[in-house]
Amino acid sequence: MSNSRILPEFELLVPQSVSEAVDMAAQYGDKAAVLAGGTDLLIMLQKGSATSEYVIAMGEIEGLDYIKYGKADGLRIGALTTITRMVDNNTVKKNYPALWQACKQHSAPQIRNIATTLGNVMRASPSGDCSCALLALGAAVMLESKNGRREVPMDDFFINYGKTARKVDEIAVEIVIPPVQNGVVSSFMRMTRTNFDLSKVNVAVQLDLSGKTCNEARIAVGAVAPTTIRIKKAEALLKGVKINDALLEKIASVVSKEIKPIDDVRSTAEYRRDVSAVLVRRAIKACL
Amino acid sequence: MKKRSITLFINGEECNITVQAHHTLVHVLRNQLNMTDVKHCCGRGECGACTVLVDDDKAPGGRKAVDACMVLAAMMDGKRITTVGGLEEDGKLHPVQQAFIDEGAVQCGFCTGGMIMKSVSILEKNPKAKEDEIRSELEGNICRCTGYVKIVDAVKKAGSWSTKR
Ligand SMILES: Cc1cc2nc3c(=O)[nH]c(=O)nc-3n(C[C@H](O)[C@H](O)[C@H](O)COP(=O)(O)OP(=O)(O)OC[C@H]3O[C@@H](n4cnc5c(N)ncnc54)[C@H](O)[C@@H]3O)c2cc1C
Repeated sequence: MSNSRILPEFELLVPQSVSEAVDMAAQYGDKAAVLAGGTDLLIMLQKGSATSEYVIAMGEIEGLDYIKYGKADGLRIGALTTITRMVDNNTVKKNYPALWQACKQHSAPQIRNIATTLGNVMRASPSGDCSCALLALGAAVMLESKNGRREVPMDDFFINYGKTARKVDEIAVEIVIPPVQNGVVSSFMRMTRTNFDLSKVNVAVQLDLSGKTCNEARIAVGAVAPTTIRIKKAEALLKGVKINDALLEKIASVVSKEIKPIDDVRSTAEYRRDVSAVLVRRAIKACL
Repeated sequence: MKKRSITLFINGEECNITVQAHHTLVHVLRNQLNMTDVKHCCGRGECGACTVLVDDDKAPGGRKAVDACMVLAAMMDGKRITTVGGLEEDGKLHPVQQAFIDEGAVQCGFCTGGMIMKSVSILEKNPKAKEDEIRSELEGNICRCTGYVKIVDAVKKAGSWSTKR
């Protein structure tokens, strides 16, 4: 791998509309990389972990920087919406605390001013903080190609490390999150060495506490497998019961067993097993 | 395109140039426009030495701090960009610059330009920023001489001047 501050040469394509971007994606296929904020892509190109003859830079497309909320539609986040915009948005803060916390803890101010929420998902890094929150919130990604649009639930979106359900002729245009319901709460937590680092482990939880017991639970854990994953066995334990300390202990031990962490530069498998259990327990408690 | 002709408004001056598509903003500022006040350090968005201010109509003060190593120059067409060399007005240093001098918030000086630019954006957002906010907002700027205490003091001082005026 080369390791230069100078990027390799490429042909830059600057679409002025989504339909132009879609045409370019159709024409250049896997020879082209899509660039939103570029905080992942530029580094991958520098390191040589991605190579690309063409770069489709989205930055000049008008109307992709939005956060819209409707009671029927839920939340829609445009492809060019930066992390900073998410942190500054009160609807996100109030209705989707897990996502707001993930954005708040993402990187550092200068990066948050450039990086996008959707780019975080499209990178399909198992440590992606927005990815983790969005999986717990039951979000979906809207993809557009010449054949029209299709909405892929986050549950089906991550195929493998760095690989998503997006086809090469598709451009991701927005994130869609279901509307909030009374009694549905969420939280996000991550563990890093310093605030600025990528997560060693991150956890997001969404609980439906509208009744006397927990009606429904979604638990997402990141950096413990090739993709961000749900811990369905732990979710099942929460369904239809009242949450107490004994149950939380049981859930913690299920989480440690269900994940498949590795040793890497940021942490060890052993640490990740212990800490994900603790974080899941804390994230559930934060919802109560 | 391998090259793109763009217009930048750098420190108030219109600048028409042709840039290589794969060159970052920091590369063009330093190597094409000889603006060595902007430092090129990690090249990975981790250290903040190359911080500049770029137009953003939704940001407080109408501009935001970004790492110039993390954006392509070719995608900055039409943007107003402020570097540390452009902060001075009518021969008078910006309050943040003056406060860095007064507090002795400079050691080797390599991080200073980026620190000052980020500090300007902190105070444009909140002139009354307290220690906690200043520290968390400066998280993306690294000082390897580790003179953080004086840097934070300088930002507080500059903030106190601007709220008095
Ligand atoms: C210093 C530093 C600190 C960081 N800290 C964190 C952190 O704390 N937490 C974290 O999760 N991440 C972190 N990151 C990683 C990165 O900032 C995020 O993943 C970011 O959200 C990516 O957004 P972007 O717009 O910059 O993506 P880009 O780099 O533009 O794109 C990322 C990937 O998605 C694809 N893509 C982007 N947009 C589209 C689209 N519309 N259609 C199809 N494909 C698309 C690109 O081709 C690329 O593969 C950090 C990065 C740096 C440099």
